[in-house]
Amino acid sequence: MATRAPARARRVKGEALHDGFLRYAGFRWLKIATLFSVVAMVSYMLVDVTPRHNGGSWYGYTMGTIGVILILWLTLLGLRKRAMTRGRWSLKTWTSAHVYLGLSLIVIATLHTGFQMGWNVHTLAYALMMLVILSGIFGITVYATIPSALSNNRAEMTQGQMLDALRAIDRQLHDAAQPLPHDQAALVRQSLDQAPFGGGLVARLSGRYPRCGTARAQTALRHWTGDHPDTGQEPLEKIDALLERKLAMLARLRRHLKLKALLEIWLYVHVPVTFALLAALTAHIVSVFFYW
Amino acid sequence: MSFLLRQISLTADGRDIVRAATLAKPQLSLGRAAENDIHLPDLALEPDHARIEQIDDRTIRVRATGTLGFELDGRTIRSATIDTTKGAELRFGGHRITVSRDDDGAAILTIRRVDAVSEASEEKEEARVFSLVGLLPSKRLTAWAMALAILIGFLAIPIWSYASRPTDDTRNIFTVAGDKSWSSGPLSQAHHALEGKCETCHQKAFVSVRDSACQTCHKDVHDHAPATRIAMARAEPGFGGKLLGLVAATFGKPPEGACVDCHREHEGAGPMQPTPQAFCTDCHGTLRDRLKDTKLGNAADFGTDHPQFMPLIQTIAGRHPRFSRASLDAKPMEDNGLKFPHAVHLSKTGGVARMARTMKGQADYGDVLACKDCHKPTADGVRFLPVNMERDCQSCHSLAFETIGGTVRTLRHGQPEQVIADLRAYFRSTTPATPLALGGMARRRPGDYAQGRIYSAYFGAAAARPSRADDAIRAVFSKGGACYDCHTVTPPQANGNASWQVTPVNQPMRYMMNGWFDHKAHRTESCESCHAAPKSHDARQLLLPNLDSCRTCHGGEKSKADVPSGCAMCHSYHVDDGAPWTPAARKIKEKPHKPRAADRET
Repeated sequence: MATRAPARARRVKGEALHDGFLRYAGFRWLKIATLFSVVAMVSYMLVDVTPRHNGGSWYGYTMGTIGVILILWLTLLGLRKRAMTRGRWSLKTWTSAHVYLGLSLIVIATLHTGFQMGWNVHTLAYALMMLVILSGIFGITVYATIPSALSNNRAEMTQGQMLDALRAIDRQLHDAAQPLPHDQAALVRQSLDQAPFGGGLVARLSGRYPRCGTARAQTALRHWTGDHPDTGQEPLEKIDALLERKLAMLARLRRHLKLKALLEIWLYVHVPVTFALLAALTAHIVSVFFYW
Repeated sequence: MSFLLRQISLTADGRDIVRAATLAKPQLSLGRAAENDIHLPDLALEPDHARIEQIDDRTIRVRATGTLGFELDGRTIRSATIDTTKGAELRFGGHRITVSRDDDGAAILTIRRVDAVSEASEEKEEARVFSLVGLLPSKRLTAWAMALAILIGFLAIPIWSYASRPTDDTRNIFTVAGDKSWSSGPLSQAHHALEGKCETCHQKAFVSVRDSACQTCHKDVHDHAPATRIAMARAEPGFGGKLLGLVAATFGKPPEGACVDCHREHEGAGPMQPTPQAFCTDCHGTLRDRLKDTKLGNAADFGTDHPQFMPLIQTIAGRHPRFSRASLDAKPMEDNGLKFPHAVHLSKTGGVARMARTMKGQADYGDVLACKDCHKPTADGVRFLPVNMERDCQSCHSLAFETIGGTVRTLRHGQPEQVIADLRAYFRSTTPATPLALGGMARRRPGDYAQGRIYSAYFGAAAARPSRADDAIRAVFSKGGACYDCHTVTPPQANGNASWQVTPVNQPMRYMMNGWFDHKAHRTESCESCHAAPKSHDARQLLLPNLDSCRTCHGGEKSKADVPSGCAMCHSYHVDDGAPWTPAARKIKEKPHKPRAADRET
């Protein structure tokens, strides 16, 4: 294990490998960001800016400059994450700082506004920034809670295995349905033709599939099996059992998809809105100096 | 007459396996059931789905037996005749059957399963199907779309609307302006008409608002003081001020003292906010440290740091009076030329109160005299008119001296020469009371001597009567006379006067020449709560309230006093004789004040 020793030596004191980016180095960046925010808030109260606090006072300029530098740096995580490294400026450090400094931006930017809002490009930039931060908070929350739920739901299966299990059930369904008359076979086909990854975004996020073909096929087939004893001979009984297994498998898959969607969806807000924010920020800064 | 079947299936590693069979029958059955000649395990097919018949050497017919058809070259039909030499492609459910012909004339049916058993069994790209890809527009696309939309809507369009503005601008505030989204807030009431016309003030791109832009309309606003003195007076800015100055200098903003430094815009609709006192105290808080020759005291806050009032008072009365400013701390006396004890007139007992009660019916007096009986406010209510003898004093202090046919003749107030002339005319034109012996009504005295005395007394008096005028004039102007009671009178010869002189009375309507005081704004207060008139026994006492008196209600701008008062409440930056500018909000806000402690005690 000679190759591992240097890696361990590069680790920062106090850092355990299993520490997440949230509790990295004993919440170091949480402390730094809190201190930063408190200093900003106290100075806001103490500094007597005339006639009132707004973005154009010296305090406003200071907060604005800090804010824009922070935003640009936070955006750089998108580049930084593509190069994973360890050590003092590891990606984990960077992510930890990203989260907590990003949160402190709420304080910095709000104080920069001096609580003056309106229907204009300036408040647009602020609103977009808040949207990015809120989506980030959502992301942190799901990152903290969902992986364990995801793991519980998987029952040691990989995604590929889930799909293979579904395919195996489908093959058995297909074979078992061969002797069936056409109308019953059509019901089985309804289940087979159902797209397990179908449904729109709403279905994916809610995990509800009210038009599920398998469930409908099973309901319909039970019209036939309902009043017959299970003799062990009837192909419909076997199909019913297979549909039952398929439904269970689908439920697991759908839970998995829902959790994965929750893990992903916030990035569809966080990332594009960040770029919208950069555009609004550019417009904000240019407009302020254009009509100075 | 035979069919050659070639069933193609895939091995696990993707190779084709071909199983060939020859069926020497003129007709083949096709379906899902195992008994069929062509058994296709496909749930999309009926158990008995179709027949394929050989019609002649080069023609076969395909015919659906059930209700479902099949596809021929992409079209769903129920029956078809196919020339085997030309070939065709049939589709039954998930199976494809290619028709061709071998050299011996047998029809070849090549059967291949093309659809997977189920949707799930089709090939899936795991990274894709398990993610949101495909359900949402891509992040990159959304990012570009949003960023571009914002850059166009909030940057390009405003700049374009600025650059393409016609010179003869006929837009009004209701015209949609491309650069409106740049406005950080609505303009104040006074500038509302400029809303949307950004270039009125922001005349050049990337050049801050200049005074010249303000002065296109505000032509006659003058400076507070010479620019050099203002520059000297301004305190060294703190850290923040220096930073702001640095930013301003870097980006070409004019130095401090621009109009917009005090008059901030885009701070919200409604009246413009009053200038905060900090803008004044930047200089005036520690003015004496820098402007050594100034006569002004330092003033940082009305409640805590403000010099005592220095009213302009008359120090020397007379025809050539002299005025100077004196601090109220020194309890200065002002000789205004009158002998008027306020205490006597406002007393609840004594002659004046008695007189007031007597005259209740004629004049609008109460049981005692009140301030308003003599002091009348100006039309705007800001100040009080000088007391007028004829209007305010004469109802008690009569100058009547004769009645002719029911008409009362009075001495002319304010014109001593006329008084002297009138008195002389009176004594010249009248005779003493005529005795009875001479036809008068007086009781006759017995004896001739008495008779002689009557003659000599009467005619002597009549002859001397005109000269009696001098005595009367002297009496009027001297102690106990009508003038002397109130006025300072100098007799003839004194000071080189040819005649009696009455010192002109000085009744200034304004004492504070650099500060503004509005009596109307204080009408909820009683006069006595500020002016100690009822206790004043000497007319020379200045009854102006001092700083402490004002501070019972007024405090600094941010104080907790009843009336927080910034500099601008009393002082004007662009100094003139008028009232300082008052925000409308404050005018409305005038509400009854709490009674002051002094009032509650009485």
